[in-house]
Parts: sequence; C-alpha cells; structure tokens
Amino acid sequence: MRNNLAAVGIWVAVLFLVLTTLPLILSGYWLKILTNIIMFAVLAQSCNIISGYTGYPALGNVVFFGLGAYSTAILMNRIGAPFPLALLAAGLISGLYAAVLGLPILKTKGHYFVMATLGVNEATRELVNNLDFLTGGGIGMSLPIPDRSIQSFYILIYFTMLVILVSCTLLVHFVSRSPFGFALRAIRANEQAAGVMGINTTLCKTGAWVASAFFTGLAGGVYAYWLTYIESQVVFSIIIGVKFFVILLLGGAGTVFGPLLGAFMFQIIDQFIWGAFPEFHLGVLGLLMIMVVIFVPNGLLRLFETRIWFPAKGLFQALGVMGTRAGRSEKG
Amino acid sequence: MDFWVLGQYAVNILFLAGIYGCVGLGFSLVYGVMNIINLAHGSLIMMGAYTTFWLFTSYGIDPFLSIPLSAVLFFMIGYFIQGAIINRVMKTGIFMIMILTYGIEIILVNLALYLWKANYRSVAPAYSGNILELGSITIPYLKLAILAATVLITVCVYLFINKTKTGMAIQATSLNRYSAQLVGIDIHRIYNITYGVSTALAATAGALIASVYPIFPSMEGPFLGKAFVIAVLGGLGNMAGALVGGLGLAVAETVGSLVFGASYQNVTAFAVFVIILVLRPYGLVGKRFFAEISS
Repeated sequence: MRNNLAAVGIWVAVLFLVLTTLPLILSGYWLKILTNIIMFAVLAQSCNIISGYTGYPALGNVVFFGLGAYSTAILMNRIGAPFPLALLAAGLISGLYAAVLGLPILKTKGHYFVMATLGVNEATRELVNNLDFLTGGGIGMSLPIPDRSIQSFYILIYFTMLVILVSCTLLVHFVSRSPFGFALRAIRANEQAAGVMGINTTLCKTGAWVASAFFTGLAGGVYAYWLTYIESQVVFSIIIGVKFFVILLLGGAGTVFGPLLGAFMFQIIDQFIWGAFPEFHLGVLGLLMIMVVIFVPNGLLRLFETRIWFPAKGLFQALGVMGTRAGRSEKG
Repeated sequence: MDFWVLGQYAVNILFLAGIYGCVGLGFSLVYGVMNIINLAHGSLIMMGAYTTFWLFTSYGIDPFLSIPLSAVLFFMIGYFIQGAIINRVMKTGIFMIMILTYGIEIILVNLALYLWKANYRSVAPAYSGNILELGSITIPYLKLAILAATVLITVCVYLFINKTKTGMAIQATSLNRYSAQLVGIDIHRIYNITYGVSTALAATAGALIASVYPIFPSMEGPFLGKAFVIAVLGGLGNMAGALVGGLGLAVAETVGSLVFGASYQNVTAFAVFVIILVLRPYGLVGKRFFAEISS
C-alpha cells in the first residue's frame, strides 16, 4: 500500500512538472490544443460527478457552460467586474441555477431526466437569445480585451484552467472516498434502496449536480474570457455537451482519472481528424462515437485494467510464486 | 380579436399539428417499443426532406408522390441501421444508445453537408401559390394536402399496428420483450421493422416539411427538439399521444408567440415541455405508470 502511494506520488509529481513547464515551451498552436484538452477534461470531470458517480445522464449539462460564459461576459461588460471576481460569480450563478432546477428536475429519472436537461438547455438558450439588452441577442457578445501580451494571456488562461481541473479532480477524488461519495454510488445502484437506508437522496443528488454545475460554469467563464467573443449558438451547443459525454465514456465513467485520459485521447484524435479529413470531420467523429460505444463501452481506463494491468500483475505474481518455489526446492 | 382572425389561427394550428404529429409519431414508436431515445430522428427527417428535394429537382417528381418512394427507401435504411448497429448495444444502458444514435445523427448531417452544401433549399411545386378562401380565412391547398396526408398516414400506421400480425408482434414486444420471445417472436427482427417504420415516418415528415419550409442540413436540431416536446406532451411511447402532443405543441407555440411575441415561441414550447416532464411525466393523455420507465 505504501509502495502504491509512493508510485502515485511520483506520477503526480511528474505530471505536475510536465504540465507546468509545457506551456512555457510550446508554441501558440499547441498551447491552444493543450488548453482545450484541459477544458474538456474539466467538463468531463464535472459531468462525472453527476453522471458517472450518481448515474444521472445529464446530457444537457452544457447549459451551465453557456451560463458561466454569459455570466462572466455580462459581469465584465456591463458592471466592469475584474475577471477573477466575475469568474467566481459565474460559477456560483451556475451552481445556484442547478440548485433551483435540481429540486424539480432530479425527481425525474432515466430518459425523462435526459430530456429534461436537454429541454432546460434549449429553453435557456432561447431565453438568452431573446434578452437582447443584457446579452446582445443573436449578435453575440464580446468581452474586454486584456491589456497584456498575447502569449502571457494565453499562459494565464492555461494555468487558470489547470487550477480548475486540479481542484475538480481533487474534489472527485475525495468525494469518491467520502460517505457522500458512497451515498451517490448507492443512489446509482438503487435509489429507492438508498432512500430506505436513510440517505437523503434529494439532497445528495442536488449537491452532486450543484458541484457539477459550479465547475462547468467556471470552465465556461474561462472559455468566454479566452475567446473574448461568445454567441449563444456556440456556448449552448449540444455538440459540446455530447462531446464531453463521449470523453467521459471513452475514459471511463465513475473513475477519478478516466475523464482526464478520455479528454487527452479524444482531443488528440479530434485534432488528427481535423487535419486529415476536414470535409468529413463530423462524420468521422460520429463513426468514432459509434466505435467507442461498441468496442470500449466501459472506458479505456477499465479496458487497460482488465486487459493489461491485471494480467501483467497476475503474471508478475505467478512468476514471483514460481521464483519462491524454485528457491525452496533448491534449499530442500 | 374577431371571429375570422381566430379562425385563421385555428387553421394554422391544425396544419402545424399535422406536421408535428408526423414528426412525433416515429420518435414515439421507437421509444415505446425499444425504450431508446433516438437522437438520430432529426437527421432522418432532414435526409427525408433532402430526398424529396432531390427527386423533385432531378426527376420532377411531386413531393407528395415521392412519399411512397422515399418511405420504402428509408424503411430499408432504418432496417439496416437497427440490424447492423443498434441491435449490438440494445442491452447496454441508456448512455450508450444515446451516444450511438447521436453518432449516426452527425454522420448523416455531415453527409448532407457534403452532398448538398449548407445552402437553404426549397421545393416549390407549381400549385404552391393556390389558395382556398373561406370568408377572410386563407388556406393554401398545399396545407390542406399536408393535413390530408397526415391523416392518411396516421390511419395507415394505426391499421398496421393493430390489424396485422407484425403489428401485433410489435405491440407484444413493446409490452414485454421477454414474454414476446417466449411466444416465439423474433424480437430483433421486430426491432429492425420498428426502426424501419420509424425511419419511413421520419422520411414522410421530411417530405411534408420540404414542401412548405426551406430545408438545410442543420434543421435536424430544431426538429429533434420538437420531436422531444411532442413525444413528452403526448406521453413517451404513446402513439395516439403523439398526435395530441403535436396539437399541444402547435397550440403552445402559437399562443406563446401571440402572448410574448414571435421570438418567444420556442421558449414557451420548452418551458411547457419541462413543466409537463416534471408534473405529468406520463403525458397529457397517458395513464399513470403506463409509460414511466424506471431508468
């Protein structure tokens, strides 16, 4: 166990070192891709809380992304709030929205929940489109341009995303081991039984959704500041929602590091497809989604565990046993 | 508001309800029988519309006459999609099947973008300007024809589901797939047929839409959203409910745009949708516990 802990520690340290030095070396293009990977990792990780652990397929979670982006934009534009404050407020607004909506919507289950979240997303997007005086309507909204050099701005954005990702992952890590995490998994397994066991299911579900919405909103806020221009068709687009869902499935829902692995793999493949088949980008993406569902339904992390890690461990132990036996027979 | 204006609104609502009913029918059928949310439905409608457009511009076939042709073609496509792809994952959770059908959706959108580009297209038969006048109510003959076509299609589907052996087998599978297997029904074949019929219905809806509205590849999104609302208003998986849902959506959109302004019609529709979903998840006409699926 202590060995394991040391190994994990070394891995985390290496990862940390790589992730902090990379942006200082990389060119602008690759920095953008890396930031994109981290953003989708945040989105998938926060979706993991409600969908992976609690078992509520929140396909319309992208609504919080859009809400975070618009809150940041409105606060910075109309009130002139500084970015960190606006970002924090955006996260809180998204969380509040989830809390208010969660009480009625989380009563629905399965397919009904999926459709309700999608409906909320559509309704919110239309509403944002119609509140012209606040959001600029269909024209979109531009944010104040930061007064610093472009390279340092992108590095700042990168580190903000990274901090959000690290805190989100830490939260998932600690929640997955806490009583709250067990309650969430109990709800996923059987909600009625969990209720009978004395878990306040409504509170737990809403809590999970609020946490999920908070981080999704933060990612949306950083995204808005990063691109300095947002429009409702983009930030509420269902294709972003489906993308982070695919990432979650690809990496492995209900695992701590699955979403990170999934985001990395998916974005790399996505970049490759853009380069190789610009005309069929969407089609190849669709094909990829179908293949993920058919061939890696449990995610890469679990596939790696069952196909490579466990057999290797087994082989290693078997060799060890043989070694000790050989030693004994020599002694005997 | 005087009598004639109200009459005009009623006619428009009825016409919209016809198209929406057709959009919702196929979606509800698949949900009712296989318990999957078919996210590819919007793009199948879009492809149906483009097939009509293609037959009209290349061969001069009237949009209404093209319906049987495209319905047969799309039945085969749907049969193939279900048989070759979706049947493989029928036993996994709802996550998987939804992502899978969305994958099919974006492949079809990409195909349409490639074949027909992102331009707005329209199908305008020679008689599309002709109008029937009743007092001061104007009704284009085209809309009357669409309403008639919807009624005809609904009757056909009703007869197919209730009077044929295959239709009975579909109903049995929808009620309980294991018992259906026990009495000798090949449920995978039934799934294929159901998906085929649903796809044919999508193609029909597409043909009807193409004859009055402009068509473009990204129209799949709005129509998928409408299919959701219609299906939920009528009760998910309830076929007769789909027509009620179509009417409900038409009323909600028209009233919404009258009360709050035209740009709010979608907000109203989706707000009604979410409220219905929370308060009456079994739909406006459904019975309690009938269409409720425990995840």
